[in-house]
Amino acid sequence: MRIKAKATVLATVGAMAVMAGQGVLAETADKRIALSNNYAGNSWRQAMLRSWEKVTGQAVADGQVAAADAFTTAENQVTEQAAQIQNLILQGYDAIVINAASPEGLNGAVKEACDAGVTVVSFDGIVTEPCAWRIAVDFKQMGKDEVLYLAERLPDGGNLLEIRGLAGVFVDDAISAGIHEGVAETGKFEIVGSVHGNWAQDVAQKAVAGILPSLPEIVGVVTQGGDGYGAAQAIAATGRDMPVIVMGNRHDELTWWKEQKDANGYETMSVSIAPGVSTLAFWVAQQILDGQDVPKDLTVPFLRIDQDTLEDSLANTEAGGVANVEYSLEDAKGVIAGAM
Amino acid sequence: MSAARRLLGQPWLWAWLGALAVWLATAAYTDGKGSGEVLSAALTFGAFFVIVALGQMFVITLGPGNVDLSIPACMTLAGTVSMKTMGGAAGMIPLGLALALAIGAAVGVTNFALIRLLRIPPIIATLSASFIFQSAAIWWNRGLRVKPPQPLADFTTAKIAGIPFIAILVIVLALVAHVVLTRTLYGRGVIAIGQNMRAAHLAGIRVERIRAATYILCAALAGLCGFLLAGFSGGAALNMGEEYLLSSIAVVVIGGTSVAGGFANVPGLWGAALFLFLLVTMLNTFGAGAGLRMVLTGLIIIGVIVAASGGTRKT
Repeated sequence: MRIKAKATVLATVGAMAVMAGQGVLAETADKRIALSNNYAGNSWRQAMLRSWEKVTGQAVADGQVAAADAFTTAENQVTEQAAQIQNLILQGYDAIVINAASPEGLNGAVKEACDAGVTVVSFDGIVTEPCAWRIAVDFKQMGKDEVLYLAERLPDGGNLLEIRGLAGVFVDDAISAGIHEGVAETGKFEIVGSVHGNWAQDVAQKAVAGILPSLPEIVGVVTQGGDGYGAAQAIAATGRDMPVIVMGNRHDELTWWKEQKDANGYETMSVSIAPGVSTLAFWVAQQILDGQDVPKDLTVPFLRIDQDTLEDSLANTEAGGVANVEYSLEDAKGVIAGAM
Repeated sequence: MSAARRLLGQPWLWAWLGALAVWLATAAYTDGKGSGEVLSAALTFGAFFVIVALGQMFVITLGPGNVDLSIPACMTLAGTVSMKTMGGAAGMIPLGLALALAIGAAVGVTNFALIRLLRIPPIIATLSASFIFQSAAIWWNRGLRVKPPQPLADFTTAKIAGIPFIAILVIVLALVAHVVLTRTLYGRGVIAIGQNMRAAHLAGIRVERIRAATYILCAALAGLCGFLLAGFSGGAALNMGEEYLLSSIAVVVIGGTSVAGGFANVPGLWGAALFLFLLVTMLNTFGAGAGLRMVLTGLIIIGVIVAASGGTRKT
């Protein structure tokens, strides 16, 4: 296996020498990259998979890599994804890009992959195994940014309603920790209610409708994405004054914001992670296979939409989908250089 | 005295008492502020629970092992396909509704075919079929949310004198289900099958025909719920049915229907649906953390079930 790999490398170098004049990236032309994905059951993940398909399909067509196949587990279970990773090792992929079901639960399988000489890049749902690369989102900062924005918009402060995500998931804890840190630092807000919206409009709508009658006047709603429109629906149903609801880049959230902006000059901001982050992970894996020096911890930039960029973002967002950007090889190089 | 005792023996009583107790506790905490609005919200969201729970109740009553785990996937598929077909056009609403019900019926037929023809136990059959339905929903629209037609959204969120219109509709639906259960040959057949399938068969009940009708009814109600919920919450989402899996069973059981089958109860469904919503609302209002909230929800549900099944049950 090793000898064969070495022979392939030699052959590749030879091919490189021949093709150098044509400027084709041939270092990774025979490399196969797999995507191991734990969940596909919401619009964000569907957009993530479509971005992967689009960008990697082009990369394969251009001869930058040999294959980039996506695999999704059916049940969002750690054991199932661990077995999937073991299969991918056996199938001889050179790199596995992972959106993990658990930060720790897959470490055994990831270690096996590393030991077998497979490059492992985790993103969004990252793994803690040291041999893997991590493209993490600074969710805590995202939560804090929301409060800092509100502090700017509402200098007098007031009461906030917090909508959290899915209980027990670290993303929920991280965003919430950032929000609470922001509240403590700015010192002008009080979180008077907190409900779990599970990142879903209908769950958020239900939870907010339940707690709202018992709350005093609220000036702002801090959210985690996918829950802003549901909150707006629930608040609108009570006839209260509409607070500043931080949105999460979903098409229905942006559409509602645009309607309010046109009708009464409603102002807010929207922040989330672009599903296209899967393509960033793809290029990072390609760079590692290419022999580039890549730091183990990278950070994904947020995709933030403000009052003046709303129209453009909305126009570029698929109806019913989520605002997205796909990353290029240059973007990946930029992120890598930024982390050096 | 005997009237009081008969009331205490009613299996639906405990769910209603539980709902009343948590509502009063919430109202006491907020000094009564907004408790009317909380009740109005509970009626709205309880209505969605009751629609699916009605179907689940008939299925569970068929006896041990009968349960429909494909409800969330069926809701998602019906919601997705009907929203996309209507494409926001008001004139298409009747077609969308018919489509949602037809998808539900088709799901029910598939479920029963797996159970009857391939002899797969209902738990496995409906769970594995639900993967197919869920994948079909993903394939149909890739998780994009299509907005419901405006009249449908208005209809599902309308209120008459503070009472959500959809709650009134579902109360009528529950009354019909109650009559069907207690006064028709079909309803009595379901109960008889649940008590003893062989005896029911010997008594001349067309057992398999009734089972088939029950699974189809359950899935059609799930389709209806998916249609209305998508209209209510601004579009169908791939994970819209997720919390209706356990909730549909919990509402049935807390409502006083025997999980072993052969004994069903419609009034309890509404009590249990209100109870579940008000319980989460109460714990949210108290500011309980997610962990504590889940522990308390579990403990309180166990408490109500134990209380409800305290006496010896007469069928």
